[in-house]
Amino acid sequence: MNDMKNFSDERLNAFVDNQLGGQECEEILAAIATDVELGQRISALRSTKELVRHAYGRAPAGQRVSWRQVPFWGGALAASLALLFGMLMGWQGHHAATAMEGGESVAAWAARLFAMEPTRILIHLDSSRPEQMDAALDLADAYLAKTSNARIEIIANNTGLDLLRARTTPYARRITELKAHHQRVGFIACGQTISRLRGAGEDVALVPEAVVTRTAIEHVAERVQEGWTYLKI
Amino acid sequence: MKWLQSREQRELVEQIKASRARLHRVAFAWCHDTALADDLAQEALTHALAKVEQLRESERLVSWLFAILHRCWVDFLRARREDLDDEALAELPSDLPGPEALAERQETVSRVRAAVAALPLGQRQVVTLVDLEDLSYAEVAEVLAIPIGTVMSRLCRARGSLRGLLLESRAAQPLLRSVK
Repeated sequence: MNDMKNFSDERLNAFVDNQLGGQECEEILAAIATDVELGQRISALRSTKELVRHAYGRAPAGQRVSWRQVPFWGGALAASLALLFGMLMGWQGHHAATAMEGGESVAAWAARLFAMEPTRILIHLDSSRPEQMDAALDLADAYLAKTSNARIEIIANNTGLDLLRARTTPYARRITELKAHHQRVGFIACGQTISRLRGAGEDVALVPEAVVTRTAIEHVAERVQEGWTYLKI
Repeated sequence: MKWLQSREQRELVEQIKASRARLHRVAFAWCHDTALADDLAQEALTHALAKVEQLRESERLVSWLFAILHRCWVDFLRARREDLDDEALAELPSDLPGPEALAERQETVSRVRAAVAALPLGQRQVVTLVDLEDLSYAEVAEVLAIPIGTVMSRLCRARGSLRGLLLESRAAQPLLRSVK
């Protein structure tokens, strides 16, 4: 498709802020699919928005909470950060490497990713959907099998934390085995998700391999700054 | 009927009281001073509670409250500087250290706050109402009593500056950088 439209910044902001009607949204979504630069502009706007939200916290209405206690990591944030990091890592030409295509096996996806041979990979899981938990572990498994000196971390937040909770994980044994075979794999739990769950009265015991970080967003930002390759499952 | 009205009003009063944290957060994002944000939120609440019977449609509560907060803030600024017209107010810089201080700030939250503080007041208000409170552009226009086109252009400039300071800055280390 060569008839790329020139979208104004005002319009892209309105898109990011959900101020556009259905048809206008669809036009932009259709254009993103073929226009890498447009995707980058939208990612940058979304990232800016999410940084502002992060900096001042997002308290639920009617509760007096300080920003440090506020759970801010919603699905939209995760999605936009994934877009942002994909963009910043210079992967514009490798969209396929950051997202699994319909019907594609993890192995095929991993093969394309691994062709790029990163040595430090951060895998981010924010959902408890079994196929996503599977994908995160399969990916770590496959890559460690191929590249023994690679470092891999799986960071879990939101409902993805279920992977690392002793009571909810279907994969306690698999995690133990992975860690036993590969010292360089890490399982990181988001401290903010844990506080939120505890605040709601839940008992959050983690598998022994898990270590807790302050917040997922800060961990991801830190790793990306250190040069890690970031993958959102 | 009389009883119904008073029950609605009682509910509104409860909702207004419960809005303190939201008012405080936005006030803080405007002034970056915790004590002042406390005062502004308290003052806005007091005004709102005193005028609750003027609010006809309860679904407009949020933009009504932020419009009151905005007026409290403008009154505060004008009390310090009487010469401020609307245009000068919108362009008012923050008292806080601006972008030049960014390079020294490593922590994400401080850096983003410094970048927001560096925006002219009009842009700071628009971007925080949209980003922190999810207000629609039309609601922001109503709160700040400005045309919707001005909301959009201020937002555009604000995000452009923030992007430059936080994601692309060369002087300061960007918050996120590309991987070789």
